[in-house]
Amino acid sequence: MRVTENTNFNIVRDSINRTKGKMEDLQMQAATQKKLNAPGDDPAGAARVLEVRTDKMNNDQFQVNGRMAETFLNHSDHVLSELSEIILRAKEIAISQSSAASATSESRLGVAEEVSQLYQQAIGLANKKIGDRFIFGGFKIDQAPVDSDGRYQGDDGQAMVEISRDVFVGMNVPGIEVFNTNPQGSEDGRQLYGVSEGNRALTSDGLEIPQNFSDNSNVFDEIQALRISLLTSDIEGTRNTLDRLDRLYNHVVSTRSKIGSRVNGIQNTFQALERHNLTNSQMSSNIEDADMVQVMSDLNKEETVFRNALSSSRRLIQPTLMDFLK
Amino acid sequence: MGLSDVSNAARTGLNAAKANISTTGHNIANANTEGFSRQRIHQEAIAPRKTTIKGDYIGRGVNFQPPERINDEYIEKQVRGGARDLAHFEEKGLSLQHVEDIFNEMNGDGLNRLMSRLFNEFRKLSNDPNSQAVRESVREASKSVVNDFKRVHKELEESAHHIDSRITSHIKEVNELASQIAELNSRIRVNEISKNVTADLNDQRDVALKKLMQLTDITTTLDENDTVNVAIRGAGPLVTGVTAEKLHVDRTKENSEGKIENALDIYADYKPAPLTNKMTGGKIGALLQVRDETISGAMKRLDELAFNLTRSINQIHRQGFTRNGAQGVNFFKDLPDAHRASEFLEISDQVLNSSDNIAAAAQANSPGDNRISIAISGLQGLRLMDEGKTTFDDFYNGIVSDVGVLKSSNNASLNQQRNINTQLTKMRDQVSGVSMDEETANLLQFQHAYDASAKVIQVAEKMLDSILEIMK
Repeated sequence: MRVTENTNFNIVRDSINRTKGKMEDLQMQAATQKKLNAPGDDPAGAARVLEVRTDKMNNDQFQVNGRMAETFLNHSDHVLSELSEIILRAKEIAISQSSAASATSESRLGVAEEVSQLYQQAIGLANKKIGDRFIFGGFKIDQAPVDSDGRYQGDDGQAMVEISRDVFVGMNVPGIEVFNTNPQGSEDGRQLYGVSEGNRALTSDGLEIPQNFSDNSNVFDEIQALRISLLTSDIEGTRNTLDRLDRLYNHVVSTRSKIGSRVNGIQNTFQALERHNLTNSQMSSNIEDADMVQVMSDLNKEETVFRNALSSSRRLIQPTLMDFLK
Repeated sequence: MGLSDVSNAARTGLNAAKANISTTGHNIANANTEGFSRQRIHQEAIAPRKTTIKGDYIGRGVNFQPPERINDEYIEKQVRGGARDLAHFEEKGLSLQHVEDIFNEMNGDGLNRLMSRLFNEFRKLSNDPNSQAVRESVREASKSVVNDFKRVHKELEESAHHIDSRITSHIKEVNELASQIAELNSRIRVNEISKNVTADLNDQRDVALKKLMQLTDITTTLDENDTVNVAIRGAGPLVTGVTAEKLHVDRTKENSEGKIENALDIYADYKPAPLTNKMTGGKIGALLQVRDETISGAMKRLDELAFNLTRSINQIHRQGFTRNGAQGVNFFKDLPDAHRASEFLEISDQVLNSSDNIAAAAQANSPGDNRISIAISGLQGLRLMDEGKTTFDDFYNGIVSDVGVLKSSNNASLNQQRNINTQLTKMRDQVSGVSMDEETANLLQFQHAYDASAKVIQVAEKMLDSILEIMK
């Protein structure tokens, strides 16, 4: 078999180029700590990595959303706990003032003043804000939900917030639903929901309300009613408010528990997102990141191969027949 | 038989040795000439003739032919084919590298991240629909998306233009090589008629053919006059005998068979229809493939994405109410169709003027209402591309991954072809390459032959002197 100088030199050039090419690739991996530096390095992996990045961005946003909703709901909960204290106090007053034994018209007049205070506080709680946003006005977050007469000026908007892909939680409770035991049947509700007598009413969950739908208690109206009864020494009236104040108290408590379960849901979802992020980052690291130990050992190996190629080429290239013919 | 016959025989020996030595010298000088095939002198003994009345047949020396090249046409063809394929994959790799860089956001930013950001900004808006700061942030994120669509579109166009200029220069080269081959055909024909040496001309013609093959796939036919006729495979003749056809390039507006608008088409001077789709091999074929399939395809898909994104967001946005209570405002400027959508993509004037015109609410005077912005952010998960099969993110990731697949499979083919070509070169070298040691040995051999023949002449002369001595 004939072997020419060209063949020899080509072999030398070839092996040097090949080794250098591999070393360059490994050096790129060592510099970026990644084995996936361009889509061509691992096309399916690249698509997966992009997917995971989008997922992470979304999850981070969902977590932000969840935290914000949680803050809102917790705040609403605090306000409602204060409201329930007010209702309790009103109840105590009603009880003590409706027994002829402990109450006189003078005492009733004195207590009426405190009830007036309670009324103002209740209005104040209803109009609480977070930042510059009223929390009980539904979608009407830029105006006070309740006016000085206790009339509701907000709407029934539920601001939904995405806390995980396609999982939404309402971050507010519209005042109309908290301040009335039967929102649809309330005076404010009639305007808001456009429901007239004779229609079947629906709750915000879409269930039908079967009973006498105008049977409603409004917290502000009740406190006002109590005050008026005390001022006019109407013992019968005072006793009547007890029942309705009771219902209002229970209603606020049940609203608070609804809020509590929403917060629980948010916290669970938050944990799930954390786990999801961890899994994602592990998967993406497997695809993207270079195993530095492997890279270094490969680089060493290639360097050795390179050295060998260079040294063996010396033997291949040097002697010719000319050297021996003198 | 006389002494002159002796001298004559020796003289032919001298000539043959000289010819051999100069051929050896020629080989050594051309050891590194591209495409050179080593040459050999073919010697044959001169037929003897009756010398004396008695009838002795004595040889009369040596005849030699003009040097012939040691060359295997079949191997040459294979080497040319290997060169064509290697050039094809190399050129494709270079062009695909450009395209891959446009879509590479592994270590940086790109449409994948920016589109995700857009949807998440709408989620932020859902948290706080009344905040001006958040609204402006949504607008900024949208501007980034618009700008990146435009960037990708522009860079793809530039890549296509770059390919066009490479095609232009390759076509020039094709024309030059074609006329070179035609000229060599003519010279070889002339030289053969006058029985001159054509070995080197044949080598040169082979080199030209190999270069031409690297540019585009050609078929060659050798006819009985040692003329090579060249045709572009599937397209038309290029060199017929001693005439070379000319190719030229022109820019046509119409979109012929998937080609990018305003891109170059290749024409032959002798017919009006373009040859573009028919030139599939070599460098030109590679460039056309990348331009008319990869780049063109990516641009189309990008346009589809921009159009669908615009249309879907606008459809929802128009149903919403701005902060001022207006309805029916577009978020992006309305696009008539997907044609060049990624180039014409723009945010609507109303939104550019004021971020208050971003509609988050589903009814008027509802500052905390976020139903529209939630619906818009929800588009991220809906399958609105590929006739309802793919989401926006997956569609874009598909474009990126497809470019990656092309690049990586081209790399694999390139490496494989390099190995194949190394083998082919070795094979050709084995047959036609110049081995220094072999030529050196030949040099010595022929030098000895020369010396010996010279000695014979010397002896013949001495013999003549002896005879003349007798005459004295």
